Amino acid sequence: MIRLVLLFLLAGSQIAAQKPKFTVGWSIYVGWNPYAYMEKSGILKKWADKYGVEIKVQRFDYAPSLDAFVAKNIDACTMTNMEALDLPAAAGVDSTAIIVGDYSNGNDAILVRNGLTLGKLPGKKVMLVEKTVSQYLLERAMTINGLKDQIKRVPLVNTSDSDIATAFIANPSQEAVVTWKPLVSQILKTKGVTSIFNSSQIPGEILDLLVVRTEVLKRPEGQKFAKAITGAWYEMTSQMKQDKVLAGIAASGQDTLPSYKEQLSTTNLFYTPQSALAFAQSPDLKDKMELVRQFCFTHHLLGDAKSADQVAIAYPDGSIQGKPDRIRFRFDTSFTQMAAQGKL
Amino acid sequence: MIRVEDVHVTYPVHGHAPKHVLGGISLDIHPGEFISVVGQTGCGKSTLLRLILGSESPSQGRVTIDGEVHCHPDRNVGYVPQKYSLFPDKTVLENVTFGLELAEFGLFDRWTPKYWRRKRQFTAKAVEHLLAMGLTEADGKKYPDQLSGGMQQRVAIAQALITNPKILLMDEAFSALDPGTRREMQRLIRRIWNKSGCTILFVTHNTHEAVLLGTRVVLLAKTDAAGAAHVSMDFAVPDHDQSHEIEAAVRRLESGEDVLDDLAGHVSKAEIPAAITGS
Amino acid sequence: MDLFAINARPSRTCAIALSWFLFVAGVCAYMWVAQQRHKENPEDRVVPTISQMGQGLYEAAFGADEEASKDSLPHRFLNSMLWQDTVASGKRFLWAMLLLIPAVVLGLHVGMFPFFGAFFLRFILFFDKIIALSVLPILFIAFGIDELSKVMLIVIGVTPTIILDTVNLSRSVPKEQIVKGFTLGAGDFAIAYRVVLKQIMPRILNSIRLNLKAVMLFLFAGEMIASTDGLAYRIALLRRNMGMSTILPYVLWVALLLFLVDFAMRVLNRRMHPWFRE
Repeated sequence: MIRLVLLFLLAGSQIAAQKPKFTVGWSIYVGWNPYAYMEKSGILKKWADKYGVEIKVQRFDYAPSLDAFVAKNIDACTMTNMEALDLPAAAGVDSTAIIVGDYSNGNDAILVRNGLTLGKLPGKKVMLVEKTVSQYLLERAMTINGLKDQIKRVPLVNTSDSDIATAFIANPSQEAVVTWKPLVSQILKTKGVTSIFNSSQIPGEILDLLVVRTEVLKRPEGQKFAKAITGAWYEMTSQMKQDKVLAGIAASGQDTLPSYKEQLSTTNLFYTPQSALAFAQSPDLKDKMELVRQFCFTHHLLGDAKSADQVAIAYPDGSIQGKPDRIRFRFDTSFTQMAAQGKL
Repeated sequence: MIRVEDVHVTYPVHGHAPKHVLGGISLDIHPGEFISVVGQTGCGKSTLLRLILGSESPSQGRVTIDGEVHCHPDRNVGYVPQKYSLFPDKTVLENVTFGLELAEFGLFDRWTPKYWRRKRQFTAKAVEHLLAMGLTEADGKKYPDQLSGGMQQRVAIAQALITNPKILLMDEAFSALDPGTRREMQRLIRRIWNKSGCTILFVTHNTHEAVLLGTRVVLLAKTDAAGAAHVSMDFAVPDHDQSHEIEAAVRRLESGEDVLDDLAGHVSKAEIPAAITGS
Repeated sequence: MDLFAINARPSRTCAIALSWFLFVAGVCAYMWVAQQRHKENPEDRVVPTISQMGQGLYEAAFGADEEASKDSLPHRFLNSMLWQDTVASGKRFLWAMLLLIPAVVLGLHVGMFPFFGAFFLRFILFFDKIIALSVLPILFIAFGIDELSKVMLIVIGVTPTIILDTVNLSRSVPKEQIVKGFTLGAGDFAIAYRVVLKQIMPRILNSIRLNLKAVMLFLFAGEMIASTDGLAYRIALLRRNMGMSTILPYVLWVALLLFLVDFAMRVLNRRMHPWFRE
C-alpha cells in the first residue's frame, strides 16, 4: 500500500517537473511540409531538448489550422501574410511572425483556356477561392497590367480548393481559374490551358510564415520555444539539398519527390537565416505588406476596422504601419538573427 | 351462373410439404341464390371466396362466370370485405359513386362539363341507395372514419351493389360488428336480397348466421389426410322455423358426428352428397 | 416527484418552464462565454456578443452604407445581402422540391406495377447507398458547376429516400381496397392513382417534410463547393475572416426559414387531406 502511494507521488512529481509543451499547426504546402519531417527525423526533438521544452507538430487543413490558432488551441501556425492579417490580427489576437520561410515565386497562378488574356477577363467567370491569396493575385495581375478599374467587372465563382481542379478540367466552358500548386500543375496537363500570370511576377508579396501568439513569446518558456523551433527550422533547410531528405519531406505531404521538387522550383525558400534576415529587414517588405493590407481592408477582411491602420504591423527596425496603439501583427527577426550569428 | 369446377388450391412451402387449402371443390351457383359458406376458421372458405372473386387463381380446376373463365376481379363481382371496406380519402357519397364514375370516365376525363352533369345524376342515385340502406343524406358528406362499423358496412354494400354485379361476395362482412348491429345487418341483407333478387355468396364462421341467412348452406371442412377442405355438406335451407335444428345439427356435424339422418327430415333431398365424415 | 413516472402529468406551468429551460440556459451560457472572451480580448471575433450579432444581422438585412439608410426599410431589405442570398438559395431549393414530384410518381409505379418493381427497385436500393457528396467530380462533369449541378446534387441525395418511402407506402395500402377497386371497374392506372396515391398522399407529404433537412444539407454542400451566391456561399466566405457575428444570425435565419417551410407544408397537408388522422 505504501509502495503504491510512493509510486503515485513519484509520478505526480514527474508530471509537475514536466517540460512546457508547445504545439505547431501546419497544413500541406510545399513551404510547410518540412515541419512534419522535422518531427519525424528527430531534428525537432533534438532542438526542443536543448532548450528544455516539448514541441509537437500537428497537421490540419489550412482553414481549420487558422481557426485553431485564433481559438488559442495551438501556439504557433504556418500561414501566409495575408491570413496572418485577416484572422488572428483582425480578431485581436496579437501575433508575431518569427520565421519568414519563403515566398511564392510562381506557386500561385492564373490559368486560362482559349488564349484568354487579362484584358478579356471582365465578364468571364473566374473560379477561385474568394478572399484568399488567389483573389489577391488576380487583382495584382490586373493592376500591374493597367486594368485596375476592370477588376470589379470580373465575376468570381467561389470554389473550394478540394474541387476546383476537377471542376475546371471537367468543364470546357469554364475559361479561367486562379489557384496554387500542385493543383496548378494538374490543371496545366489539360490541353489548351495556359498560365497568363503567376506569383513570380509579384515576388515577395505572398509570404509563408511561422506565426506565434505574441503572448506566448512574452513568457520565458515561449522564448525558449521560439529559439528551438527556429534552430530546428534552419537545420532542416540546410539539409534540403539532399534528395533523401527531400524525399522524406515529400512523403510527409503525401507527395512524390519529382512533384515536390517541381513545386520547390517555384518557391523562393530562404535556406539560410542570412537570406531570410536580408529579406525581412529590407524596406521592400514594408511596401509589399502595404499592398497586402490595403487589399485586406478593401475586401472587409480586417473585421470591423474602420481603416487599414486599425490593424497595425510592427517591423524589426521599430517602424509601424498603422496606429501605434493598435499593433496586432509583428515581424520579429531576433530569432533568425541569432540563427544567422550561430548563437542558437 | 357461376361454376366452380373441381378446384384445388395448393401453396408451395419452402422446405416443407406443400400446403393444401382446397381439394377438389365443385359448386354451382344459380342466379338469385343466397349461399352461406360456413366452416371453422382456417378451413379455406375465404380462399373459396377469393377464387370466385378472381383475386386468386386455383392451382387446378377453374371458375367460370356464364361460361367464361374468371381469373381477375372485375365488374361481374361485388365485394364487401370484413374491414377496410371503404376508401378513407373519399366521402361516403364519393365512395358510392366511385363505381358509376369508373364505368364512364377515364383518369383524365373528370374535368369536362359532361362529368359535372353526370356527377349530379350519380349522386342522386347514390343517395337513393344510401336511403335504402337506412342512412341519411347528411351521412353522405361524412368520411368513413366518422361512421360506426355498422354504418360503414351499409355503405360498403351500397357501394358494391350500385354497379349491379352478377354476384355479391361478402367475406365475414358482419363478423366485426357487435351483436345488436349484427342482427340489424342480417335483417337488412335479407331485405335487400328479397327486394333485388341478386345473387349473394356469404362467408361466415358463425353457423347460426349461415343458416339464418342462406337459402343454401355450404359447409367446408378439412376432411382428407392432406388437410384440404372439401364440401362436406351442401344443403338447402327451406324454412326459418327449422333453422335452429339445422344449426344444431350442423354444429354436431362439424364435430364429426353422423347426423345426416337427423337432417334428412329438414333439408331438401338430392342435394345431399354422400356424407364424407372423417375419412 | 418521480421523474421517471410514465403516468406523470406535469402541470402546464411546469411543462412550459421545463421546455424553455434549455433555451435560456444555452443563451446564458453563450453570453457568459462571450463576455469572458471579450474581457480577455475585446476584439474577439470567434464568439460575438448578442449585440454584435444584432449588428451583424442588421447590416446583412438592411445594408450598412450611409447611402442605403435613405431608403425605406422594406426597400433596403429587398436589396440587402441577406435577401439576395435567400432568393438565390431559395430558387435552388424550389427546383429541387419540384423534381421530387417525378420521384413520387416513380415510387408509386415501382410499388404498384411488378414489372417496374423488377426493373428499378434493385438499382434504387443500391443508388440509395451512394453518398452523393463523394461523387462530386462526376457531378461536375455531367452537369457543370452552375445551378444545374447544385440542384442535381440535392436530387441525387434525397430522391432515393423519397422513392423508397413511396414504394413502401404504396405497398401498405390494404389489399382489400385494391381488389375492391377492381370489382368496381377500375383499370390499373385508376387503382394506382385514384385509390392508392390519393390515400398515401398525406404520408408522402410528411415524408418529404422529414427530408427537408437533408435537402438543405445538400443545398449547402453544393453552395459551399462552387457558387457565386446563396446563403451557404455567404457563410463560407465569412469564414475567411471569422465573421461569426454574421454567420450565427445567418444560421438562425436558415433555421427559421426551414421551420416556416415545414409549417407551411403541415398546414397544406391538413387542408388538402382533412380526412387524414395521425
